[in-house]
Amino acid sequence: MSRAGPATRAVLRGAFTDAAARRSAFWTQIGAMIANDLAWVAFWVIFFQEVSSVRGWDVDRVLLLLAVLCTSAGLVLGLLSNSRRIPTLVADGSLDEVLTLPVAPLPHLLVRRLDTVNLGDVAFGLVLFAVTAQPSPQRTLVYVAGTLASAVLLTGFLVLTGSLVFFTGRSESGDLGLNAVLLLASYPADVFAGATKVLLYTAIPAAFVSGVPSELVDDFDVGDAALLLGVAGLFAALGWATFTAGLRRYSSGSAWGRG
Amino acid sequence: MTAPMLRRLGVPADVSGRRLLASRDGLVVSVLFYLIVSGVLSALWRAAAGEHGEVAGYTALALTWYVFTAEAATCAINVRLIEEVGDEIGSGAVAVEMLRPLPVVAVRLAAEVGRCTARLAVLLGPGATYAWLVAGPPPHAAAAVLALPSLVLAVTANLCLQHALAGSAFWLRDTRAMWFLYQKLVFLLGGMLLPLEVLPGVLRDVAMALPFMAMSYAPARLASGHLEPWLLLVQAGWVVVLAALAGAVFAAGQRRLQVVGG
Amino acid sequence: MGTPDRLGGGPAIEAVGVTKRFRAAGSTGSTSAVDAVHDLTLSVQHGERLAFIGPNGAGKSTSIKMLTGILHPTAGTARVLGLVPWQQRRTLSERTGTLFGQRSQLWFELSPRQSLRMLAAIYGMDRPQETRRVAELGELLDAADLFDVPVRSLSLGQRMRCELAACLLHEPAILFLDEPTIGLDLLAKRRFRELLVTLNEEGGTTVFLTSHDVADIEHVAQRVVVISAGRLIYDDSVPAMRRTMLSTKLVDVGLEHAGASLELDGVSVLEQGDSSARLSVDTTRISIREVLGVVLDVWSVSDISVVDPPLEQVIAEIYAERRS
Repeated sequence: MSRAGPATRAVLRGAFTDAAARRSAFWTQIGAMIANDLAWVAFWVIFFQEVSSVRGWDVDRVLLLLAVLCTSAGLVLGLLSNSRRIPTLVADGSLDEVLTLPVAPLPHLLVRRLDTVNLGDVAFGLVLFAVTAQPSPQRTLVYVAGTLASAVLLTGFLVLTGSLVFFTGRSESGDLGLNAVLLLASYPADVFAGATKVLLYTAIPAAFVSGVPSELVDDFDVGDAALLLGVAGLFAALGWATFTAGLRRYSSGSAWGRG
Repeated sequence: MTAPMLRRLGVPADVSGRRLLASRDGLVVSVLFYLIVSGVLSALWRAAAGEHGEVAGYTALALTWYVFTAEAATCAINVRLIEEVGDEIGSGAVAVEMLRPLPVVAVRLAAEVGRCTARLAVLLGPGATYAWLVAGPPPHAAAAVLALPSLVLAVTANLCLQHALAGSAFWLRDTRAMWFLYQKLVFLLGGMLLPLEVLPGVLRDVAMALPFMAMSYAPARLASGHLEPWLLLVQAGWVVVLAALAGAVFAAGQRRLQVVGG
Repeated sequence: MGTPDRLGGGPAIEAVGVTKRFRAAGSTGSTSAVDAVHDLTLSVQHGERLAFIGPNGAGKSTSIKMLTGILHPTAGTARVLGLVPWQQRRTLSERTGTLFGQRSQLWFELSPRQSLRMLAAIYGMDRPQETRRVAELGELLDAADLFDVPVRSLSLGQRMRCELAACLLHEPAILFLDEPTIGLDLLAKRRFRELLVTLNEEGGTTVFLTSHDVADIEHVAQRVVVISAGRLIYDDSVPAMRRTMLSTKLVDVGLEHAGASLELDGVSVLEQGDSSARLSVDTTRISIREVLGVVLDVWSVSDISVVDPPLEQVIAEIYAERRS
């Protein structure tokens, strides 16, 4: 659609201005996020001082994993922040405003709101990469591409789990999905064994969110890169399909307050 | 605190506990979250111990029980407590409570301790089962038994300090940043993410001297097979100090409210 | 504005047998089905002003949401401007404007003008078109001085006028409004209703308005449809309804002390106490002015007000009429 480009830009611009106007506690929140990330870095540094490596992962590899995760999650939660809110938006009928406009509902919904605070995580991830990962032009390119793929995957996963609310009516599942994937993605998948490890490469693709992109930076493999892109595309498609199917069942908050 | 006053505090504790247990969905999510976090973190430590035999004197089994206990002590607490209490102070809801005959902070603490103990009880069953299945029974039975009162003390100490910090809302307006910082301190220096023995030299001594060790490390140390009953005394000491601190902050804050206005 | 878009020359809105069934999970684990809307059949011509009235929970919002394509019906068909709303939602939304009384198209921290800019991009308007149209709307809605104030600083009445601008930006053929006057004070309500009439009479925009306020029937609509418990129970022109249903007015009187009993043809005393009385007046048999005259003569009046009968009473009358 020739209109989608300027419309999306306009929405993004509006969302950005709207977010920038909500300045209260912005900097304290960013400071808090950075403190959070620094605490994680401190944890891993201390951990690896005691335990030089675990299943082939050392401090450098784990910090690279964190760098990918921080940037990817920061991008998704910052720029496409409604991806985590789909259950709430559906439950209180907030899709109405989107559905009365001549736009594709999911993309418009995703860009409609920015949580600029999360850009602190993006900055942290980039700085962490620059400082600890020996950035060369090639490594940086792989890092950026891998992080973007990870962001697409994470968005697809959030939309997929969030859209389950159309079918189950329970809105707590969204946050649980987000917290689970972020938690699991902050550890190297090799730490886990058996069924859990399989889980991290499939249903909760945490390994593809952080582990695989970070490994590609150290050791680029075309097959793994293709797999990452494939999984990202798959979850994006699944998310879109579930959301679209769910729209037919949308009740606009009416099951709760009929009118 | 006279006997009748203590008895009166028992009521809010009991009521909160019951209300918590009645909200089934929220509990299920809490338990799931606790199990996932503990499972993941203990898997990491087991992997570390697996390759090197033990880490800082802890075996894989010990580390598993350590993690599950430390996480229980933190997951039992409402993570948004400082924020919520801060908001309630800011909005003036606390002012209404000042009209009641018991000290505001005592009632709130009693209610929170009640709620958190109930949550602890709910978490420990699945937690202990998971740890047993994945690593084996607790390394030292007597020490594990001591871990139970230690957990209650840990939660109480944590709540007291959180209330003291939340009381800063009588003066400041935004307590959110403080909560983040507080949580990280408990995680790192309180022994939740890693046993304090893992911390390098000076940092370890500092951590052992701070109140955070009473909130996570103490019960975890016991449950991981180290019979060190003096930890309970240290915890009790911190509870007294921190409760007094919370009381002092709220008293000063209320005086300020009465003078300055809500 | 030119002639409204006419697709196929048929009615603007046509619904046949539209039903929406919700399944709610009961607390005991059982599911029960409720028809929020049952077998709605309705036809609206271009340029009509229709009020879709019903009490809370009657199915008004659900109906409008199906006609705009937000909800998929469980049964039945509908065509709006020749399009099936839930299948061709995006195309339809380019020709219709929707205003939900309790929702907002405008961004809270931004000025209306900034939101309108975003909407103009969505509707594919170029800058000159947008500028012209925004100026037009500012004049038409008497809101030009509001467009640059952040929405959070506007009163509800002012905000509703800006919301109206947002849904008129693309010159829609039909304007759907769901309880737009909720929360507005009397003056704001009156202005809003006048705007709707102007838009319809001067611009030819079809107006489809839901409400639970009977006054909307009197001041906006040419035609009224009444829905109750999901079912359409009345569909006629406003003059016809006025003749048959709305002839009753209630008069609430505050008394300084107890008064004599009142006997007037066409007036029934519903309640009479020491400090107040309530009369029901059949305005086809006696005028309000006459009644007021008698009441002021006979009683020591401290306060008096004339009100429309509540919607529930109108509906009760409709049901009663049906049975007779």
